[in-house]
Amino acid sequence: MGLLTILKKLKQKEKEMRILMLGLDNAGKTTIVKRLMGEPIDTISPTLGFNIKTMDHKGYKLNVWDVGGQKSLRTYWKNYFESTDGLIWVVDSADRRRLEDCKEEMHKLLQEERLEGATLLIFANKQDLPGAVTAEDIAQILDLESIKTHHWKIYKASAITAENLLEGINWIVEDISKRVFYND
Amino acid sequence: MSLLDKQTADTRDNGAADTTTTTTSKAVDEPQGVSQESTGITPEMVLGFTSITDSYLCTPEANTYGIDFTKFHIRDIDTGLTLFEIAKPPVLKSDADGEKGGERVAPQTADETKDSNAGRYVRYQFTPQFLKLKNVGATVEFMTGSKPIRRFRMIEKHYFKNQLLKTFDFEFGFCIPNSRNSCEHIYEFPELPAELAAEMIANPFETKSDSFYFVNDELVMHNKADYAYNGGLEQKE
Repeated sequence: MGLLTILKKLKQKEKEMRILMLGLDNAGKTTIVKRLMGEPIDTISPTLGFNIKTMDHKGYKLNVWDVGGQKSLRTYWKNYFESTDGLIWVVDSADRRRLEDCKEEMHKLLQEERLEGATLLIFANKQDLPGAVTAEDIAQILDLESIKTHHWKIYKASAITAENLLEGINWIVEDISKRVFYND
Repeated sequence: MSLLDKQTADTRDNGAADTTTTTTSKAVDEPQGVSQESTGITPEMVLGFTSITDSYLCTPEANTYGIDFTKFHIRDIDTGLTLFEIAKPPVLKSDADGEKGGERVAPQTADETKDSNAGRYVRYQFTPQFLKLKNVGATVEFMTGSKPIRRFRMIEKHYFKNQLLKTFDFEFGFCIPNSRNSCEHIYEFPELPAELAAEMIANPFETKSDSFYFVNDELVMHNKADYAYNGGLEQKE
């Protein structure tokens, strides 16, 4: 069953949005994307490159780049920053051990010049797992309050139950469109 | 059920067809583009083509980046059904990720005799129902070699009887060395006039496409495909 419904035809000039999904390995980036796109999520293997999805969403052409999060791949993340409108940072809420690591990597990104102005959505993923850290606690551990350079919002989420995935995407798309397109 | 909304895939795709015309397609008739250094073929030229090319505009050797397409997959977004899948069995690396590869849809290569081109030509056979689809997801998967790739771009042109139906133009951008990547374009299938659809069904393999792949604006791969929509109808003749 596809998770997509049809929206009315876009008549104006095409508006493109580029969304970059990053996070530590095994955070669930690919699973989230697949869940959103109505694809089976039972056979997902580590992303050793990128997975791109392009689709039309609420009158925008949405390009989502899900790039692998393994340590050896993180040095290549910078190659995907250019013209990014939105950054989705995915957190494995059940991986307490690596939340510090997760915080560090995220704050590194926020200092990147080419990500300046990008809207930041944080998915506190895997909330379906017992022992998952709550979104409130993750907000604190990641020190989200200190972020003044980017619009941000955190959602507790689960790629398995689809909780808040759509809400999150809608928020980031709306925030970007307010920033980028309404100002024209 | 749907988490994401969508709307029609017109805009840029068709726009390319409107704005580009004439002349450049003539370049195709000349036996150029066989040198291994530079083909001289630019994205702009290709965007301007108004008919299928007579030949491949680069040699297989032009692919110095080791780009290897490992899977093509088409699904119906509305039902989730796989409509087409062709995958290369994994040849290298451990068997650990081996299970992913072997989706055994036999490649219906039209012309097995032309070995050098076998890998760059795909023949698709669909049933007439295919032309009635509303929302389609088309995925390509590819691996890259040890060189990083800076600007990887695909331009794909679809024709029926040499009439341009659609142009895709997409920039993958950077590719990590030795990476495995995928890209799915989800789009609304263009609504075809009934007459055209009937003609396409009646004329198998007259629907064709050229896929051009550029790295830094240089042509590195050229693949061709053709399509039939009369699947399941042949027996009636």
